[in-house]
Amino acid sequence: MNATTVVRPTRATVAGGLLGGAATSAGIALTATSGWLVVRAGERPVILTLLTAIVAVRAFGTARPFFRYLERLVSHDAALADLAERRSAVYAALVPLTPARLGRRSRSAVLTGVVDDLTDVVEAQVRVTVPLVSSTLAGLGAAVLAAWFAPAVGVVVSGLLVVLAAGCPLAWWVESRSRDELLAARAETARVGDLVARQAGELRAIGAEETALGWLDDAHATWRAAVRRQSRGRALVAALVLLGTAAATVTAALVVDPAVTGAPVAALLVLVPVAVGEALAPLVDTMRALARAQGSRARLDALLDQQPAVHDPEPSAHHPEHRYTCSANRATGTDAGAARLQHGPAVRLEGASASWTGGPEQLAPTDLDLGSGRQVAVVGPNGSGKSTLLAVLARHLDVARGRHTVDGTDVRDLPLATTRADVAVVDDEPHVFASTLGENLRLARPGATDDDIRRALALAGLGAWTDALPDGLDTRLGSGGRGLSGGERTRLGVARAVLADRPVILLDEPTAHLDHPTAAAVMDDVLDATRGRTVVLVSHRPEATDRLDAVLDLGAPSPGTHQ
Amino acid sequence: MRPFDPRVLTVAPQARRPVAVLAAVGVLQGAATVATAFALAALVVAVVDDGGLTGPAAWLAGLLAVRGGLGWAAERVAAWAGVEVTAALRSALLRRWLAVPAEERPDPDRGATLAAQGVSAVEPYAARFLPALVAGAVVPVLAVGALLWVDPLSSLVVVLTLPLLPLFAALIGATTRDETERRWHALSSLAGHFVDVMRGLPTLVGYGRAERQVEVVAEVSRRHRMATMRTLRLAFMSSAALELLASISVAVVAVTVGLRLTHGTVGLETGLLAILLAPEAYWPIRRVGAEFHSAADGAEAVAAVLDELATDSPRASTPAEDVGVRMSGVTYTYPGSASPVLVDLDLEAGPGLTVLTGPSGAGKSTVLELLAGLRTPTRGTVAAGRSHLVSQRPFLPAGSLRDAARLGTGATDDALWEALRRVGLDGVVAGLPRVLDTPLGDDGIGLSAGQRARMAIARATLSTAPVLLVDEPTAHLDDAASELVHDLLGELAERRTVVVVTHRPGLAHRADRHVVVKATGTAVHG
Repeated sequence: MNATTVVRPTRATVAGGLLGGAATSAGIALTATSGWLVVRAGERPVILTLLTAIVAVRAFGTARPFFRYLERLVSHDAALADLAERRSAVYAALVPLTPARLGRRSRSAVLTGVVDDLTDVVEAQVRVTVPLVSSTLAGLGAAVLAAWFAPAVGVVVSGLLVVLAAGCPLAWWVESRSRDELLAARAETARVGDLVARQAGELRAIGAEETALGWLDDAHATWRAAVRRQSRGRALVAALVLLGTAAATVTAALVVDPAVTGAPVAALLVLVPVAVGEALAPLVDTMRALARAQGSRARLDALLDQQPAVHDPEPSAHHPEHRYTCSANRATGTDAGAARLQHGPAVRLEGASASWTGGPEQLAPTDLDLGSGRQVAVVGPNGSGKSTLLAVLARHLDVARGRHTVDGTDVRDLPLATTRADVAVVDDEPHVFASTLGENLRLARPGATDDDIRRALALAGLGAWTDALPDGLDTRLGSGGRGLSGGERTRLGVARAVLADRPVILLDEPTAHLDHPTAAAVMDDVLDATRGRTVVLVSHRPEATDRLDAVLDLGAPSPGTHQ
Repeated sequence: MRPFDPRVLTVAPQARRPVAVLAAVGVLQGAATVATAFALAALVVAVVDDGGLTGPAAWLAGLLAVRGGLGWAAERVAAWAGVEVTAALRSALLRRWLAVPAEERPDPDRGATLAAQGVSAVEPYAARFLPALVAGAVVPVLAVGALLWVDPLSSLVVVLTLPLLPLFAALIGATTRDETERRWHALSSLAGHFVDVMRGLPTLVGYGRAERQVEVVAEVSRRHRMATMRTLRLAFMSSAALELLASISVAVVAVTVGLRLTHGTVGLETGLLAILLAPEAYWPIRRVGAEFHSAADGAEAVAAVLDELATDSPRASTPAEDVGVRMSGVTYTYPGSASPVLVDLDLEAGPGLTVLTGPSGAGKSTVLELLAGLRTPTRGTVAAGRSHLVSQRPFLPAGSLRDAARLGTGATDDALWEALRRVGLDGVVAGLPRVLDTPLGDDGIGLSAGQRARMAIARATLSTAPVLLVDEPTAHLDDAASELVHDLLGELAERRTVVVVTHRPGLAHRADRHVVVKATGTAVHG
């Protein structure tokens, strides 16, 4: 991927670059004119002749912070404007891809990755364009001015610029080469850290403490090696820039002739390469931002270029008008909702198989008759397609073969929003938004009253907990608010599903992360709260599956034969 | 928040060397910087006086070459320190969590976040901020020292103006603190909003609320931009003010030098040195401030890790040679829970099979965790030999089947096959295309719950621990497999203390001891 597709100069970033150029030039000029001033003063002239230089020194000294301030304002504002625009665009693009195209595990980690990648890409707009423009401007300005006084020094400064310019692709190559390897190594250290922290108790239980610390050491060793390789390149670039400055300064001292230029200007010319080297050295750092943004951009593109896993039918195919009406009724009144509950949709799978990727099928052809109010447990080894089955029922995924019908109609002829509105999914990691308890529930049914919410919370076993909260439904949850235990989080997810008042509830190992006593208590409440609704439960807990009408065993393919 | 907490070097001794080398390189860089100023001044004087250039030019070239070498070293050392400090802290943290009972670990989410993302923020802190801190402490001192030697008057100007920098920073900070804090709260909630709605996207899609959020994201981003710019304007303004202050101070040095030069009271070389050295006293201090802003997360993580490691725990005294288990008067209350799950429980078991039964939620699993030392009793005492606990959701790491099955035991392949044979898994494993090298996903993808349970029992037979604790080993097994496992447990109980929690009456019949844990959390011995 070339740089221009990642970094596109805009009017704002170029403006930032121009202001930055003014600031950098003022810095170089400050060093040079100070040198001139001191040497001229050493010639002991009438003090008045120094006044211009004194004013210039002061002006440059003031101009540098002033222009730097403006540059930072302009470029940060440009970055934030860009960020705002791209965030809503990426969000909109992700909606149809959610959840089937976000990977099957740790979706919230994938989504957090998107946030970070997006920030990298946006920052590069400013962190690459602005220094590039400002350094080019200041460097060329210094070269032209030096050439004005002494063409030979102009050539020397230009030579230094060439060295710095050559350092950029070198730095970019160093960063790009090590980027993916280093990113993977860092992610691995975080993964092992996360794993060992979470499983500390289980690891102690079987005496595997030292083995676990060995994993950590291995991950750190790989990371250490990757960082060492990268730093070798970075160190080389850093040394090259300083050596280039040394060569330019010494050469300038050798070629400058005070007899021609006068002593003060000669001093100024000797100082210019030093000042240019110092002012422009950060330029090679911008290549880090560029290389990083290219990696981030590639990841974003790979995610966003996917086709959605499910499609809305053409508008002409929206034939079952009555389903619209049903959904509308349910949203407006509880009575209609209650009626609907007793006559929930009849969902059928006939020989339905499905695949997340369009390749090998993760769900082998399966039959399931899910009449209104029927409660079915799904069991089977890991990888036998339990979650895939739920994804099909939730219309996160369409069947590859076979039929999936609701009230006799193939779901692919029904609008996505309508079929999804019949189904609530509760998984093992319900997201708690940084908002009030009330708002966290109300998102499941926007018109819900406080009483509706309290009722749903009570059904999910959070009644006493809610009453004990000092601010009740107005208590803030999520980051920056009150923390929830694993059991409370699961119950919150259940309360949402209950409040949403949807006839079909899909429970995907809701208690997977809870310790045994909590899990048993939560599962009891979950099954109580969903009584009377159509339920499909995936769980490893036999005491939970015992309470349901039927068990669907997805079979036990021998381990390792599937991906 | 402290810029550098020396306790890091105590808890993470591996970090000492890189930090020491980093400081040494920083000091050398400072010395080289000051020396370069001397060489540059000498060269300029030589050019102006038309004197011999070779000497000064060689000095300058040599010094800049040394600085190039030091720059190279600084880059390498910074990367090294970043890795070592981070790795040492993470290792120390996890080593501790692997050694303490559950009550002394933070809750899993918080712990995992600290061990993964939290500690990762230490890398930029150690690799970027620490070098800046060293430069900030060393370079100004060296520059002022050199100035004092060549031109005391200029050094006086610098010494008088230098403290204005932190003073100004503090003044600006104090006058804007309330404003900044108020904005910071608004800002962090606005900044967090996008992450929040992103992570919650599957939930929003599930309830048909996602499309609506697109506009909300746009609106919040717009407000975030405005709020951020207000905050940044203030931050940039104060940083510009500090830079201006530094510029003016340097200008004062330059002007006094200029005036004295015209009067002939100082020489040209001295004058040049003064204007070259003076800026070196100011910029490192400003850089510390700038880098600290970006290193704040790392410093916070360092503090959090040190806090975790600081609390000294009374080590559970487990006599490793003990072959039995004994609990007396044990009461246990889960952290955050109001009522105890176990009350005044007594239990004693030696070699042989002990079976624990009782209703769900009576605390049977908790008994096993207490015996394994994974929890500390709220009241009462527990004494038990070294144990191996097979929990209800045994942990099988991602990796090969071999690594999962012998985790914590280091058994040979032969021993492993024998163990698999005893739980009746040898046929299944031998039939796999890659046999023992078959990869398992996180949590052992591809194994049924029953196979996982048997794998965990096989692992337990490989353990040399004299005490074996097993929680519901046959919950997911059919009768034939249960029988096999029961026989195996009976066999193991001939030489070890085996305590099993079960619902199956079959196992209770063949037990040497039968303890019923009642719903009230007390025990009845049968």
